[in-house]
Amino acid sequence: MQRLIAFIEHNIHIMLFVILQMMCAVLLFFLNPYQQASFTHSAAVFTDKSNQLSSTVTGYFDLQQQNNILQAQVANQFKNDARSSLSFMNDTITLRDTSRHKLFDVIPAEVIYNTVYKASNIFIINKGIKNGIQKNMGVISSQGLAGIVLQSNENYSSVMSLLHINMNVIPTINNLEYYTGLKWDNANPQTLKITGLNKLEEIKVGDKVYTGKSSLLFPAGILIGEISKLETSHSSQYFTTHVKTATNFRNLEYVYVIVNKDIDQLSTLLPAND
Amino acid sequence: MIRLIFYWTAILFLQFIVFNHLGFTAYLAPQVFIVLLITLPLHISKPYQVLLGFFLGLIADFFVGTPGIHASACMWLVMIRFGLLGAQDLKEQIANHLPFNVHSVGLSTFAVTTAILVLFYHFYVFWLESIGAINWLFILLTTLVSALFTLTVIGIVQLLSDKSSGEF
Repeated sequence: MQRLIAFIEHNIHIMLFVILQMMCAVLLFFLNPYQQASFTHSAAVFTDKSNQLSSTVTGYFDLQQQNNILQAQVANQFKNDARSSLSFMNDTITLRDTSRHKLFDVIPAEVIYNTVYKASNIFIINKGIKNGIQKNMGVISSQGLAGIVLQSNENYSSVMSLLHINMNVIPTINNLEYYTGLKWDNANPQTLKITGLNKLEEIKVGDKVYTGKSSLLFPAGILIGEISKLETSHSSQYFTTHVKTATNFRNLEYVYVIVNKDIDQLSTLLPAND
Repeated sequence: MIRLIFYWTAILFLQFIVFNHLGFTAYLAPQVFIVLLITLPLHISKPYQVLLGFFLGLIADFFVGTPGIHASACMWLVMIRFGLLGAQDLKEQIANHLPFNVHSVGLSTFAVTTAILVLFYHFYVFWLESIGAINWLFILLTTLVSALFTLTVIGIVQLLSDKSSGEF
C-alpha cells in the first residue's frame, strides 16, 4: 500500500498531465471549428471502420440463423412464384384474387451427406416424414434442379441426385419439350447429356434447359442447366447435347423440397402406366 | 518577487500585444512567452510546473482564440523539459533555487535545451492549429521562421537579464 502511495506521489505530475491533456483535447475539438470538423470526420471514419470490423467478427456468430432466415425467404418466394400456381378458368369474373391455387409448397432443408463421384449419387437432407417429406418429391437448389426424394424416414430423406444413372428428366429447351431424356453418363459431375436431339432442331450452345410440364414433381420452368456443347457426327442425324448443370453438386448445402399438394388427385387422372 | 512579477508581465505583454500582431508574414507567429516556462526555477515541484504550464497556456489561448492548443503545448513543453533537465547534472542549481537560464547552467546547455523546446513548441502548436487542413511545408516553414525569431528574442532577454536572478 505504501509502495502504491509512493508510486502515486512520485508520478502525480504524469497523472495531472494526462488529465489536463484530456481537458485540452475536449477544448480543442469542441471549441475550434476546423479541429472539430476534422475530429468529427475522423470519429466517423473510426466508427465506420470499427463497425465494419465488428460486423465481420460478429457476422460469423449468427451465420446459421441467417442461413435459416434466407432459406425461409427463398422457400416463401418459391411458394408465391407464379410457376408454382395453377390458373383455373372461371366462367364468372371475380374481383377477389382467388383464381390462383397454390399447387406447390416448398420445404427448406440442409444437405448433410452428398456424393458426386459414384455412378449412383445420392444426397441426404435433414428433413423427413415428420416435416412432410415423402418419396418421389422433387428437390431443387437455389440454382436449379437437384433431384428426387428416394426414401424418407422420421427425420431424414435420401435424394436421388441429378448425377444418378437412373435419373431421367424431360427437358424443355426454348419452350419446347423434348421427350428424349436428360441423363447423367457417370463422367463429369457437372455435365448431363441429352441424346437423340435431331440436328434439325433449332438449338445452340448457351440455350437454357428447364423442367417442363410433363412432370408432376416439379413446377415447369425450373432451370436444369445450360447447353455447353453440341456433339455431332457425320454418321448420325442426332446431336449429343452436353448440359452443364445449374446446380453445383460439389458444394450443395441447402435445398428445397417441392411438395405437390394435389399429387394424389392429379395422379388419378393419369393413365396407369404414366 | 516584484522582479518576477515584472518579468512575467513584461513577457506576456510583449507576447499578447506585440508578437501576436506582428503581421509581416504568415510564416511568423513567434511564441516568446514560453521562455517563462523554460526558465522556471528548477526547485519547483513537477505537479506545480504542469499546472502552471496548463494555466499559462490557457491564458495564451484566450488571447488568440484557440482553446486548448497552447494549454496542451505548454504542458508538453513542461514534460519534455523534465526529461531534458533530468539528463543534466543540475543538483547545485536546484539546491540554490536558481532558475534555468544562461547564467545558471551555461550557454551551451541552455541554448541546446531551449532550441529543442522552442522548435518542438512551435511545431506542435502549428500542427494542432492546422488540423483539418494540414500543409506540412507551411507548418515546417512557420516553425523554422517563428522558432528562429523566438530564439533570438530569448537570447536578447537573456543578455539583458540580471546575472544573479536571470530576470530583468
